[in-house]
Amino acid sequence: MVDLKIEGVDCFYDSAKILENVSFSVETGNFVGILGPNGSGKTTLLKSISRVLKPKKGAILLDSKDVYKLKTGEVAKQMAVVPQDSNIAFSFSVLQVVLMGRTPHLRRLQTESDVDLAIARRAMEYTGTWQLADRLVNELSGGERQRVIIARALTQEPKVLLLDEPTSHLDISNQLEIMDLLKQLCDQKKLLIVGVFHDFNLAARYCSSVILLKKGKIVAAGKTAEVLTGDNIKDVFGIDVIVNKHPVTDLPYVIPVSRPKELLRRNVSVHIVCGAGTGSMLMKTLTDLGFMVTAGVLNVSDTDFATAEYLKIPVVTETPFSPIAEKAQKANLAMVSRANMVVVTGVPFGLGNLQNLEAAGEALKQKIPVYILDDVPVNLRDFTGGKATALFDELKQLGAVFVKDQIELLRLLNVSVEKARLASDSPLVPDHLKPRRAGTESHITNKSEKA
Amino acid sequence: MENPEKPQQLGRKSRWRLYFALLILLFLGTILVSLNLGFSQIPFPDIINILLKHTPFVGDSVQLTAFQAGKESIIILVRLPRIFAGALVGAALAAAGTVFQGMFRNPMADPYTTSASSGASLGAAFAIVVGFGVATLGVYTIPVYAFVGCVISVLVVYLISRVGSRVPISTLLLTGIAVGIFELAIVTYLQTIAGDKLGPLTFWLIGSLSSTRTTWAGVTAMAPLIIFGIVAVYLYSRDLNILTLGEDQAQHLGINLERLKFILLILGALLTGAAVSMSGLIGFIGLMIPNLTRLIVGPDHKILLPASVFLGASFLVLCDGITRFLTTPASPQEVPVGVITSIFGVVFFLFLLRRKKRIDAF
Repeated sequence: MVDLKIEGVDCFYDSAKILENVSFSVETGNFVGILGPNGSGKTTLLKSISRVLKPKKGAILLDSKDVYKLKTGEVAKQMAVVPQDSNIAFSFSVLQVVLMGRTPHLRRLQTESDVDLAIARRAMEYTGTWQLADRLVNELSGGERQRVIIARALTQEPKVLLLDEPTSHLDISNQLEIMDLLKQLCDQKKLLIVGVFHDFNLAARYCSSVILLKKGKIVAAGKTAEVLTGDNIKDVFGIDVIVNKHPVTDLPYVIPVSRPKELLRRNVSVHIVCGAGTGSMLMKTLTDLGFMVTAGVLNVSDTDFATAEYLKIPVVTETPFSPIAEKAQKANLAMVSRANMVVVTGVPFGLGNLQNLEAAGEALKQKIPVYILDDVPVNLRDFTGGKATALFDELKQLGAVFVKDQIELLRLLNVSVEKARLASDSPLVPDHLKPRRAGTESHITNKSEKA
Repeated sequence: MENPEKPQQLGRKSRWRLYFALLILLFLGTILVSLNLGFSQIPFPDIINILLKHTPFVGDSVQLTAFQAGKESIIILVRLPRIFAGALVGAALAAAGTVFQGMFRNPMADPYTTSASSGASLGAAFAIVVGFGVATLGVYTIPVYAFVGCVISVLVVYLISRVGSRVPISTLLLTGIAVGIFELAIVTYLQTIAGDKLGPLTFWLIGSLSSTRTTWAGVTAMAPLIIFGIVAVYLYSRDLNILTLGEDQAQHLGINLERLKFILLILGALLTGAAVSMSGLIGFIGLMIPNLTRLIVGPDHKILLPASVFLGASFLVLCDGITRFLTTPASPQEVPVGVITSIFGVVFFLFLLRRKKRIDAF
């Protein structure tokens, strides 16, 4: 067991304050990720822990002992560091480099004994580098070299392992391999691992707890799932993200979303009748273009609802898999009557959402223009036994405008299509909702052949 | 993943023994060859006989021929001290070069990088031109001044480079170069005002092992210092290995970095100062011998350091022998040994470099 306490640490480079009052405490068996934007002080924090940069204020306590008061060799027996990239230019053999890890345990004139060699060998077998023993370290690939450095760190027999973006120079398979190895070390060898990472998802997947740094201060620290929230990430990194649960691992999964920097403001509100993901892109496009967008009625589990939530669009909701009840319909009608226009997407209609078409009809009666995206013929997505098709005809008679796709709609809305950044072939209707056409079968066969 | 074979690396000790045996043979061979070279050629059997006469325990039973007795003083009083001096200077410069290159992680570093040479030059120039202290120091005036100048200069560079409690390597390198230029400017100025002492000053600045400098007294005075220096740096060979990984990693492996840098710097300065005070400035050895040795034995200082020492010693002894060989009654002006070291050394080094296609270690 070992515990590491960081108490009120202030670090400076010359007169520039890099860390301010950083405090946290961790112990054996934890895999701690330090995340933050460039210049937030992540690496500095690691340097101050590893005794490279002495803090001006505060203390680093390893098992209640100040690391700056211990001898360098004493600290190296308990704490090993894996740097970002160890570019060893000298042609030492892999075994020589790994054996250097024994340095803190050896006296000046002592040569490595069989015991030291056995320790190095165990570490190398653990990291899968024993068969590289005779290779020259400067001729290894990045992934191999990083495993050798981890073997060297293990040869120090440390209780604490510090990592400075250990995988940032590696390809994805090497990244996962190294991280799996580290996680295994943390669990099996009862190591305390503290690492700086760039990739939220890598951190989310492997770290038991996370520390978020911003401008040298801790913004949030704690269990990974509690810290990696959209709000925290927005605060620290200034980017919008969607944090989902990973469907397989149940760990947080962070998807960054880019947003246009300048939002146009238009005093036009658009109510969208959509569902099953048919409205997502339109909601995003129109929001980006500065329209005030509303939507409804949507079931809470609907993809379009998730999009609306993310875009912070007012939406009238209904419980999942339930037909639209009177209350929701009323709210929706109220929303429709406040809109400047209504757009109906190519959503399939069933008895559950038929009322949405009636709401469109109400809009027309109130002289609110209605645009109907007719990219998929209505009879192909009418699951009401003809009722929806009938309502469509009615809407046509009431003066609804039928448009063939989103591009045409945007043109009608007097928006430059280029600005909307829409490729003309971008599917407004998800593939699985599209009607089957001749040849589709063979298309699927092709796909599976490729796979 | 299991590999039943032992890594070859474990057999490195026997390979090292081979290197050592070869280097010692080379060293003894060059001494013999060098004893043979000079104004008067003395055949090898005679040389060996004379040497045996002066070997403890067996010496008494050796009888010298009339010819051998006539050459005894040339061998024992002229050539042998000169060869010992050459070996010491070569060994010291090669060791210092290895230390500085490892410490600065730079194959361009040499014993003179940290202003050691210019400091020694300034000290010597001061002694020659100002002549202060000649009365007490006698023939040792110039060596003592050169040695002190070298060590003080390196210490000044160290103190200037200090930032808080740390001495960044890159700052140390640049400060060394800057201070060196400053000192050489003063030496140049001293040359302009040297007057009739310009000759001795210029002669001193060109390194040489000529017999005016290399007496048994000088050799016995400097030998303990140089041998101490070499043994001391050898004790730090593991630290030097680790230092080549970079400063941060060395610290992570438990090296007391600042203390190590200071010790290595001072030991390097001691070795350089001792060498320069005996011979003046001799180029190439401190720069090229470590690089050359690294090409042959690899970067591990446990073998690199002693191999450099023997190679440096052998090389300088051989080159000095060549200068004596070239000094004939027809051309009595001795060719500076630095000229020989550079010409032969560079050609051999470039040959090796071409064959290996790269500087292996850096």
